[in-house]
Amino acid sequence: MRNCEGIRESIGSWLDGELSAAESESVRAHLVSCTDCGETRRRLEKMQLALKAALISQAPQIEFMSFWRGVERRINQKRAWYDDLLDWSRGLFAAPRVAWMVPAVIGILLVLASTDVWRLGGSRNSFASVESIDAYGRSVALLREQETKTTVIWLYQDQEGENEAAEDTAKSAPTF
Amino acid sequence: MRLLKTLRNRLRLFSLIVVLVAGWVGAAEKNPQSVQVRIRTILAGNKSDEFDPKLKDMEQQLKPLKYRSYRSLKDDSQNVPWQGTRSFEIPGGRLLTVAPQEYQNNRVSLKVRLTEGDKPVLDTAVGIQNKGNFILGGPPHEGGTLVLLISAAAQ
Repeated sequence: MRNCEGIRESIGSWLDGELSAAESESVRAHLVSCTDCGETRRRLEKMQLALKAALISQAPQIEFMSFWRGVERRINQKRAWYDDLLDWSRGLFAAPRVAWMVPAVIGILLVLASTDVWRLGGSRNSFASVESIDAYGRSVALLREQETKTTVIWLYQDQEGENEAAEDTAKSAPTF
Repeated sequence: MRLLKTLRNRLRLFSLIVVLVAGWVGAAEKNPQSVQVRIRTILAGNKSDEFDPKLKDMEQQLKPLKYRSYRSLKDDSQNVPWQGTRSFEIPGGRLLTVAPQEYQNNRVSLKVRLTEGDKPVLDTAVGIQNKGNFILGGPPHEGGTLVLLISAAAQ
């Protein structure tokens, strides 16, 4: 059974037929048994009747023709682009959309931070770390090119007889 | 009241989805199954000014080597499991053996061995950024110099 405070908040909706069948039945049953809430109902009904009577009596005096002309004019009037933009931006920041957008933005940022989508071009290739090199007695150079962050392991084939085939290797070894 | 309740529920649902997606992405990042190893073999020389258009994407990386010409000889890719080894044939009767060791902090550790016939020429252990590369150069070939661009991408 709902308490009186809750029922009183619902009486207005109940009178307007806005409650679900179950809620409506719950309110009706409470109003039958509770005199205080029944009194609230009667007051609300009285107020509704008074308002209705006032509206009905005033209706013939209202100039409807000018009202409808105004409506027609506004329908035919071409809306400025900034009005559309304003409406769109209002819709964008309406509460339910913001509720979806906040976690969506967080999600996108998390996914971006977890992948390397944003690491493009030269920055993708940071320096390689060389932990060990064994060139079996040959000379070897470890070079690092700053601009492209490229690590180069250069093997100098300087053992006797090994370099004869490369006529220009020695003289053109990288200088960096 | 109803609107606030709906907002709260939507926020909870979305937060749950975000946490699950982030967890899934994080797990995928931490446990790659294998490494795609790519070896590009280039012949560098000074006899001409030819620059192979196939190497356009690595022009900036090759420029510091100061050779006049660069020609692509081979471009091989193989999927290598962790702790596994794969060999790549290099011109001049050479063999490049690559063994991925581990993946940590977005970096791939590789053991690389270059042999010429039966003779080992170079053994090295290198850590490169995932999808990054390094250059191994120097072996002579057909009057020029071989440059190997070794890259690895965790899968």
